[in-house]
Amino acid sequence: MILNVVNKFAQILIGFSGGLAVGAGFVAFITVLGVIPRLVQLAKASQHIRLFGSCATAGALFGTYLSFTDITWNEPVFVLIIWGLLHGLFNGMLAAALTEVLNVFPILSKRLRLDGYLLWLLMAIVFGKIAGSLFQWLIFVD
Amino acid sequence: MENIVYIRMKKHIRLSGAPVVHLKDIAFVGAVSPKMRKRLEQTQIYQVTESDSNYIVIDGFIIIRHLQLKEPSIEVQLIGPSQTIIHVEEKAKEMPAWIAASVWLVLFIGAAMTIMNFHYDVSMQAVQQKLHYLLTGEKENHPLWIQVPYSIGLGLGMLVFFNHWFKKRFNEEPSPLEVEIYKYQQSLDDYIIDHENKLNDSERSQ
Repeated sequence: MILNVVNKFAQILIGFSGGLAVGAGFVAFITVLGVIPRLVQLAKASQHIRLFGSCATAGALFGTYLSFTDITWNEPVFVLIIWGLLHGLFNGMLAAALTEVLNVFPILSKRLRLDGYLLWLLMAIVFGKIAGSLFQWLIFVD
Repeated sequence: MENIVYIRMKKHIRLSGAPVVHLKDIAFVGAVSPKMRKRLEQTQIYQVTESDSNYIVIDGFIIIRHLQLKEPSIEVQLIGPSQTIIHVEEKAKEMPAWIAASVWLVLFIGAAMTIMNFHYDVSMQAVQQKLHYLLTGEKENHPLWIQVPYSIGLGLGMLVFFNHWFKKRFNEEPSPLEVEIYKYQQSLDDYIIDHENKLNDSERSQ
């Protein structure tokens, strides 16, 4: 009985600590990549910045729920399409932020003197991501 | 008052060959009398030689010292940047298109591979399969209704982030790409100002 309580308590502690660390890490990751500030800037919505933060938190919690639940819904294909599109939009911004952080473009511009072609090279990465992703889902996974 | 001369150093200039650098090349000059301004602008400051490195930093302090030796009556006021970076280069030429095309291909394949590795890394296929089951109640090994829109959204998200579609941009503000290149240039300039400035070189400043 006592052992059982201790055991449960240990589980709660482990789960809670793990969640705390992952949550902090998630926020740090999103912050470092600067996706939210970029969206705020594009939407010209700097007065709503807190709202954006709480949306991300709510999303993370919802995602956690989805990861651990066994329920199913009967949503139409339309919902899948919207879901996939938003999923891709967010991941695209993450990928773009990573590309930028890696400083590929200043090097291309300075070392290889490709200033004039820079936007075409940017498109190479964009199309590369789309093509790679489609290739993987449609052909590669079998 | 009439003897005050204002000098504003230019931040960054590019020269090719081995020319004599005049004051007007590296700075804007302001003086009450136009004649004096013209005369000062023609002052020779520096002779670029073959042995010089690609970057030369002319410190504003050297200009002041030089001008005061030459014309003791004037008082020089330095405004703006305190030094000029001279970038000596062979005729700046654009890379030929085939190199750009090769780099394009490298980036294209590289981007495709990194996104595929990323998808495997985070087990996206499995997550999307589970998500498909969760949303529709049907098991599906290839939840293409999620995956294809996802792939398109991936590209759109990158375009939104960079604020560019080829040469077209969605609004006027600078994109992260331009800011990043500016920041890189700025760091290079700071480094050069510190390391190529002869005034910072203790062996030569005797």
